[in-house]
Amino acid sequence: MKVQKQFNNLDVVIKYGFLMVIMGTLLGCENIPSHDPYRNYKSIEKALLSKLMLAKDSTVIQLEKGHFIFKSSLILDNKKNITLRGRGMDKTVLSFKIQENGAEGLKITNSENIILEDFTIEDAVGDNIKVTDTKGITFRRIKSAWTGEISEKNGAYALYPVICENVLIEACEVLGASDAGIYVGQSKNVIIRNNKVYWNVAGIESENSENVSIYNNQAYNNTGGILVFDLPGLTRYGRKIKVYDNEVYDNNLFNFAPAGNIVGAVPSGTGIMVLATREVEIYNNKLENNNTIEVATVSYALIDAMNDQKSQENKDPGSSAQIFEEGANMDLEYDPYPGAIYIHDNTYGEVSWLPNLSNDFGKLFLWKFGFDRPQIIWDGMVPENYLLSNGTLNPDYKICIQEVGVKTAILDVANDFEGLVIDPASFNCET
Amino acid sequence: MFFLLIVLMVNACKPKNEASNIVFEEEILKKVDNGHLGHKNLSDYGFFTGFLVDLVPAQNVHPYELNTPLFSDYAQKKRFIYLPESSFIEYHPTEVFDFPVGTVLIKNFYYDDVQLINQKGRIIETRLLIKKASEWLALPYIWNNEQTDAILEITGGVQEISLLDKKPIHYQIPNMGQCKGCHQRSGTLQPIGPTARQLNRNNLNDGEDSINQLRRLSRLGLLNISEKEVFPKLSVWNDPKTGSLDERARAYLEMNCAHCHRKEGPAKNSGLYLMSSSNSRHALGIMKAPVAAGSGSGQLAYDIIPGQPEASILLYRMNSTEPAVMMPELGRKMIHKEGIALIRSWITSLE
Repeated sequence: MKVQKQFNNLDVVIKYGFLMVIMGTLLGCENIPSHDPYRNYKSIEKALLSKLMLAKDSTVIQLEKGHFIFKSSLILDNKKNITLRGRGMDKTVLSFKIQENGAEGLKITNSENIILEDFTIEDAVGDNIKVTDTKGITFRRIKSAWTGEISEKNGAYALYPVICENVLIEACEVLGASDAGIYVGQSKNVIIRNNKVYWNVAGIESENSENVSIYNNQAYNNTGGILVFDLPGLTRYGRKIKVYDNEVYDNNLFNFAPAGNIVGAVPSGTGIMVLATREVEIYNNKLENNNTIEVATVSYALIDAMNDQKSQENKDPGSSAQIFEEGANMDLEYDPYPGAIYIHDNTYGEVSWLPNLSNDFGKLFLWKFGFDRPQIIWDGMVPENYLLSNGTLNPDYKICIQEVGVKTAILDVANDFEGLVIDPASFNCET
Repeated sequence: MFFLLIVLMVNACKPKNEASNIVFEEEILKKVDNGHLGHKNLSDYGFFTGFLVDLVPAQNVHPYELNTPLFSDYAQKKRFIYLPESSFIEYHPTEVFDFPVGTVLIKNFYYDDVQLINQKGRIIETRLLIKKASEWLALPYIWNNEQTDAILEITGGVQEISLLDKKPIHYQIPNMGQCKGCHQRSGTLQPIGPTARQLNRNNLNDGEDSINQLRRLSRLGLLNISEKEVFPKLSVWNDPKTGSLDERARAYLEMNCAHCHRKEGPAKNSGLYLMSSSNSRHALGIMKAPVAAGSGSGQLAYDIIPGQPEASILLYRMNSTEPAVMMPELGRKMIHKEGIALIRSWITSLE
């Protein structure tokens, strides 16, 4: 990413000359980020396990300074008003580098008002911290990471509240997740603020969640910075999401998600992506040098088809169109199209002249737009009731973009880009 | 400038060195006072008469078996139920029965002489589920080497086990928290096995006097049910006489997966529901993309692709012992070859 920036300042002539050399080298050996902190482990497994299991409601469990290593998941179940507190990020370290049992590092279930603060957790085989069926969960000053080079063998989620209510994630540092760093799924009333997320496939992801505010975060050097997704067949749908005052930049990391996972379809170089979600407002963000697309709004059909294509490189599961039909039609309540999207007052950096060519979007942009690609796109896939009987646009599916000096486009993916429109008037709706 | 670029790239290719230095200092625990949870020794409960290791049930303790049990590293299980004097079980046609307060479900895990290499058969652990006023309590007891008693160990334990024709494993005795990882419905701890469909069979240990377990409980006045009741029945996963391939595969999935993978279970966030009563193809995993599988996807796109077991995530995860991949997540260190074979045939048969 730095390489790319320095590159922009060079004389145009030199650019072309060395482009091929550099691209070739990068392909041959991508600069793989690596996190290698000093560790000196000791084991307190049985002591901490019993403390967590026997904890009385309304207590603080203090973790001392040190690097502690565990073979099994730590479990906190059916507790109220518990604080699990370390002596600071990188001072108290819970490591699951030798994990043999369970997939999560710390697993919290069926609880109320749990606070996790001031420690580092790393190297769980699955998710570092998973919290389910819990009302009131705070993650504060938690560093959640995988050590060594980033790899698809890293765990999926670093901070993972799912089916929770009243979630606060703040001042955390999150890196190395092979799916999403901060991932909130099927939850309600969520605040994600003041966090630093990098070296993940998805930096921050809100999935099938309601009343979510994502602000003041720094999301950089991920494959995709911030994702707002809605998938079929789950316990609830996503709506009312605000993404504002974030810095989302340099999210150009290669996609290292294991194939078969939905984020595997997110193109490297994505700033913010909205998938099939309603009532999403994106404003006052600073977006810069996400070298495929700064903001993308897409339908589930598109991402599913792309994901399927990726998996088919290994196996051949059959016709993808048929498969999509079977999957999405099973959930009759699910709407695979985005709508009520409002994107406004964000600032955008200069567009690099060459898009990220590691993905189909980048190639498409080069092909369709040359060296002047848009910063904001919508795939243009629409449901049958996109136009109401009186010919007006169904407000449920409105996509409004009010930005200054920004190039936007509707791709019309469904019709092989035949109806591709640059800076469409329909984006300029009064809201 | 270009020199810098070259340096950057060369550095990127450097092999990584593992600097981590692991020192084990397993703290010697002061005996945690678990007095409020349960008795320290299994023998303290008085469930059995004679030598404890013989597991001869005392009064009010009744043996039972299930049609299709959970796979637990080929361990055999002897199950008993203790019912307090003059109490009885409330029958339910589909869910786990409603047990009186004070009920204890006693599950003993053991290997016999034939299974263990160069070792006499022994009981590894006994898990108790105790019905308290509102909730169930799960307690793990680990047997001593002398096989004279088992001791409460809420943090669980590990034992080296070498079975004939299998690789040695670190057999995992679950901690209290892990017990509830599976024994959970709508957030509260629940038994899994004792349903009408599972108990609807003769107990093989009864020999020639064998009668249906539900009838027996009913005749003893321990199960609140009329003699005319027709009981539903779950197929025996490995006995083709008891059901079609589909019925047996679904019974196997129900017992090995659906304690989590059901609408009221801890894996409900996956949208994959494997109760044998589940009738949506998508919820069963057929052409269903994974939601949060991580490396568990095994580079595959769907939980089940009809006719293609090797391209189905479901089989891939059952066929693994890697903690990040394997399903169920807990409770086994081995692959259940025979179970895999059943599910493979089932997926092959699907259209």
